[in-house]
Amino acid sequence: MTQILEILISGITQGAVYCVVAVGLSLVYGASRILNFAHGSLYSLGGFLAWYLVAGGPGLPLWLVVLLVLPVLALTGIGIERAIIRPLRGSDNWKINTIMVTLGLAFIIENGLQLVFGPGTRTIAPFVEGSLSVGGITITWYKLSIFVISLALVGALEFFLSSTRYGQAVRAVSQDMQGANQVGINVNQIFGLTFALSVVLTGIAGILLAPVFLVSPLGGWVPFLKAFVIVVLGGLGSTKGAFVAAFILAVLEAFVIFYIGPSWAMPAWLLMLIIVLMIRPKGLFGVWEN
Amino acid sequence: MSSSKTKTENSHITSVFTGAGLRQHSLVYWAVIAALALAGGLIGDSYIHHIFILVFIWCVVIASWDLILGYAGIFNYAQLVFFTFGAYGSAMLSIYAGVTPLLAILAAAGIGAVIGVVVAVPSLRLKGEYVALFTFAVHLALPPLIQQGKAIGMGGNTGLLGIPWLNLFGYQVSSIDKLTWYWVSLAIGAICVYLIYFVILRGRMGLAFIAMRDADTFALAIGVNEYRYKMLAFVASAVFTAVAGGVYAHYTGVVTPRVLGTEFFLMAMVMLAIGGMGRFPGAVLGVFIVVIGNELLRSFDDYRLLLLGVAVVLTVIFLPLGVAGLFRKRG
Repeated sequence: MTQILEILISGITQGAVYCVVAVGLSLVYGASRILNFAHGSLYSLGGFLAWYLVAGGPGLPLWLVVLLVLPVLALTGIGIERAIIRPLRGSDNWKINTIMVTLGLAFIIENGLQLVFGPGTRTIAPFVEGSLSVGGITITWYKLSIFVISLALVGALEFFLSSTRYGQAVRAVSQDMQGANQVGINVNQIFGLTFALSVVLTGIAGILLAPVFLVSPLGGWVPFLKAFVIVVLGGLGSTKGAFVAAFILAVLEAFVIFYIGPSWAMPAWLLMLIIVLMIRPKGLFGVWEN
Repeated sequence: MSSSKTKTENSHITSVFTGAGLRQHSLVYWAVIAALALAGGLIGDSYIHHIFILVFIWCVVIASWDLILGYAGIFNYAQLVFFTFGAYGSAMLSIYAGVTPLLAILAAAGIGAVIGVVVAVPSLRLKGEYVALFTFAVHLALPPLIQQGKAIGMGGNTGLLGIPWLNLFGYQVSSIDKLTWYWVSLAIGAICVYLIYFVILRGRMGLAFIAMRDADTFALAIGVNEYRYKMLAFVASAVFTAVAGGVYAHYTGVVTPRVLGTEFFLMAMVMLAIGGMGRFPGAVLGVFIVVIGNELLRSFDDYRLLLLGVAVVLTVIFLPLGVAGLFRKRG
């Protein structure tokens, strides 16, 4: 019983971080209908920047590093939108072209990281040590704190989208780009904003998970794929959906890892993707669209 | 960005696909192949033969990808999955069952057809970028499965070694015999590319693909069976790619999960991006440019993959129609 509870808790804490990666992916897709294949490599980018500043070179404390990395990630997002997404707007074959450039970008970031930092895996020491024991169930303070931070991030995003002027503009663009344009919303600016937020979210998740999963230049595909399965199950563009789906899938993953083995985790995610797409392609809370 | 405008522009992308001029174009095509065959005999350098053997194998993969992505408009990214199954299937048949390599390559076509159906069934329930992600997920999930497949003789990480040489009428063609391999791969490549661009895409099937891609509602209205033709696109694409995989396995004598690695995938993407999708002979020219360019970049080995990634982004932005677009006046 305690064992099952422990697996459950490990799944739930993991799920909160997956949720941060997933809402970032969903945000960009919602606004611009771009599936950003570089989302996972940006997760690695966040992890590597933090690793470098904490353990590699200057040896700064983690909280300061996060403060320093945040604007870098935001500028990276804006830069991506400016440099490779905006020139394609209104071109023929917009969909296939954006898939091609974001995949190309993913490979640029991956190989760039490999070139700068070398191919090995890195880890960051967690910022809190020790663990909490309640009734025979043990959970590290670190996992508990990244769980709380992740929930706070997703909550903040939800607040931004529902209650601020810019958040409402993002939702307007998601619902009807042309209409939003006509009422005077600067669509390019909103695209830039969603990319900035998305890169910040995935980059922070990369930092938070670095002590748990390690970071490696090519390690971004796994969180990317997980985020995508979560977004599909939750329903595209639905933060609430991603939130629920992240916990369901992370708990399932925890059970698969414990009872079948870690090497089956990825095939299990793929299987979940297939099952979801077969049974309910519009997801739990989403609206099916073409 | 009105969608109707995009649709009409798309129709210009289509290269000549009906029967008109088929005979002349075929003649030009085979003349080029004959010239390549002759050139192979005149070239004395086995390194150059090797590069061209790779070009001919890649041409089949990229032409198949162009068929499904460029012509049928299905965002399939599992192309190297088909290649891997062809390579492993053909290699395992000849290693474990003693099937003669030429037959094993033919059997790879059958394996390709089956895998094509397996990937197509879930994909056909999806639309647009969902297909891209699903198929790419299959690509990413395959290497761990190959590791698990060690139990059934897939060789795990080290892959399969000592794949038997091609046996042509009692004559063993070793990997060192580059000139014979040059002609063999040219012959197989030429036939596959001809079947793809001149038989399939210029026939009824090609017309249906293009109709579905450029005007899906209209295609449905005039009675194009969407499911059947999309399934056919997957199967045809997988069959030819699996053949290429089989040829590759017997040429190199080694297959490892590296065929699913970043380098091959990136190469394939650059070829298609530089060549231009859905505009024969763009994609095939892309193969020549990228394979030869990649060899010239060998001296910058550390930066090679980075440069390939940059090449994808730059060509999509600045040359959206690929080199094929250079031949045609842009409207």
